[in-house]
Amino acid sequence: MDQTQRIKAVYSHLDSLLTGVDRLKKAGITGYTVQAPLPRHEIEEIVYEGKPSPVRWWVLTGALVGITTGFLLTSLTHSAWPMINPGGKPVVAIVPFAVIMFECTILFGSLANGLGFLFHCGLPGYWLDKSLCDPRMTDASFGITFLEAPVSDTDRITKLLEGSGAIEVTTGPDTFYEVPNA
Amino acid sequence: MALVDPIDANDPGRPNRPATYGETNRDIIRVLLKPTVGWAVAVVLAAIAMVYGGWCWYQQFTWGMGVSGYHPPIQWGVYIVTFVFWIGIGHAGTLISAILFLVRSRWRTGVYRASEAMTVFAVMTALLFPVLHLGRCWQAYWFFPYPNQRQLWMNFKSPLMWDVFAISTYFTVSAVFFYVGLIPDIAVFRDHSRGLVRRVYGVLSVGWRGTHVQWHSYMGSYGFFAAFAAPLVLSVHSVVSWDFAMAPTPGWHSTIFPPYFVAGAIFSGCAMVISLLMPMAYLFDWHKYVNTWHYENLAKMCLLTSGILTYAYGMEYFVGWYSQNPFEQSIFFWRATPTADYGWAFYLMVFCNCIAPIAWYSKKLRTNHVSLFIVAAIINVGMWMERFNIIVSSLAHNFDPATWTTYAPTWIEWGVLIGSAGWFSFWFLLFSKTFPAIAITEIKEMVAPPVRGH
Repeated sequence: MDQTQRIKAVYSHLDSLLTGVDRLKKAGITGYTVQAPLPRHEIEEIVYEGKPSPVRWWVLTGALVGITTGFLLTSLTHSAWPMINPGGKPVVAIVPFAVIMFECTILFGSLANGLGFLFHCGLPGYWLDKSLCDPRMTDASFGITFLEAPVSDTDRITKLLEGSGAIEVTTGPDTFYEVPNA
Repeated sequence: MALVDPIDANDPGRPNRPATYGETNRDIIRVLLKPTVGWAVAVVLAAIAMVYGGWCWYQQFTWGMGVSGYHPPIQWGVYIVTFVFWIGIGHAGTLISAILFLVRSRWRTGVYRASEAMTVFAVMTALLFPVLHLGRCWQAYWFFPYPNQRQLWMNFKSPLMWDVFAISTYFTVSAVFFYVGLIPDIAVFRDHSRGLVRRVYGVLSVGWRGTHVQWHSYMGSYGFFAAFAAPLVLSVHSVVSWDFAMAPTPGWHSTIFPPYFVAGAIFSGCAMVISLLMPMAYLFDWHKYVNTWHYENLAKMCLLTSGILTYAYGMEYFVGWYSQNPFEQSIFFWRATPTADYGWAFYLMVFCNCIAPIAWYSKKLRTNHVSLFIVAAIINVGMWMERFNIIVSSLAHNFDPATWTTYAPTWIEWGVLIGSAGWFSFWFLLFSKTFPAIAITEIKEMVAPPVRGH
């Protein structure tokens, strides 16, 4: 198995970053992480090519579980205690139960959405590689990082990133950066 | 690929914005610096009000509900009035953060985080009141369904049970939505701080790195949160209105209650956003991010909802007259009689909610900070009076004239009301000083992206 090492490119311009990602894709190189201080649809488009987030399946599952739970909770409760029957409504009365079912749909769907978000983001991610914890990436810079690039490919990747307009390309152990305080 | 500037430079309504992403960080992170005297004084006042409210609750806890002004048939008073008031205040936050996000309204960016915080703290405040209202507050857990040995179970056909589900869902969803939105911004605070503070922000930002995978999931998730929160915000106050409308009580039993309550909630919430954000903008020097452009848009929302409320007030009278129901006619006639027990409450409500906001039809007054602050405060008073007018007058003038009576809140109830304002303000002030009360990420989205142009 090839030895690997970290390669990190820092960009101060969005179009340079996009050029870098585009060149990596055209060269068939994978295994990189793009970092940005904000969500830019241009980055999503070039990396994901319109593929939607898988979080949507969590949301759908949560919402279906929610509406089912709402129906079962209300109808089974009233079936078990049928004497609670205000206003002559049927024991299993869909209209008043629809309120509870709606609330459960929203609640379970939202909680599943939050869990799906954390899962797909790899959060909580305190153990994530330190290389990705560069304060410049939450400030004003963009980045492309290879956590485990094959050593044999290092020169090729480094040249490609430098050529795309990166202001800094480093290899090997990371350096900790401080962002100036307010 | 063409990079698009999100803001049209020729748009006369365009907001002020920072020049770079870094400038955004440094402007907003300034709140972490040494607190100002104004902020410290506000926190102390809020804490005093909160402690006083707690002491009043302690009195009620010790001596029972007799210390309040409740007496049959008026068993819903200041606590329920204030509960509905705070739930209403919470509505503007979700409206601004979710509905205006879905319609891509640009002016929400500067104000939505503080409005969301307002929602969470307002619902936290509102949640105290059903517990306070119980008297035996230690049994509040009976609200929720759980297996028990008492052979008691809740009635899911009751609007009060719907309300428990609606409010707890609203609080949970608002809090999760709020926190997910905060994560990338807390990571900015983490990266700009040192020592123990950095550790705390590090834990709270759950290890956010801003990777493409994270942003992709974040944007997908955020859209779904907004899509869920939008119908939720409209449903919550509808459900609250059913607490009243499902009862046959004259003055309550009306199908216009849900839209009427939702419009009122948005009206009071937007006025509260103005009342809160304007002093905060002066306190923290946020004028670049929160300014007249935002206040004017909030004032326009108030004007729209004030019009809907005025129509609803009029329609209640029309329906009362048209129904030919003597009980309905009686309550509405009694409410509007100036010399009746609560005539003052009715006319104060009409002045605050229908007449005072008319001032904002003038652009000059709508963009004047003093006028904005005064009218917003009047609206807040008016919306509390509206709930007082609906709840208390209907119970005081029910079907049987032999039960007609009046209700006056005791100092304990006023104390709890003051305490709730202190509780709400205390949390809001602490949040504004320690977390990004202006959304860093979304402000950055308004900044023209740095482009080399090669």
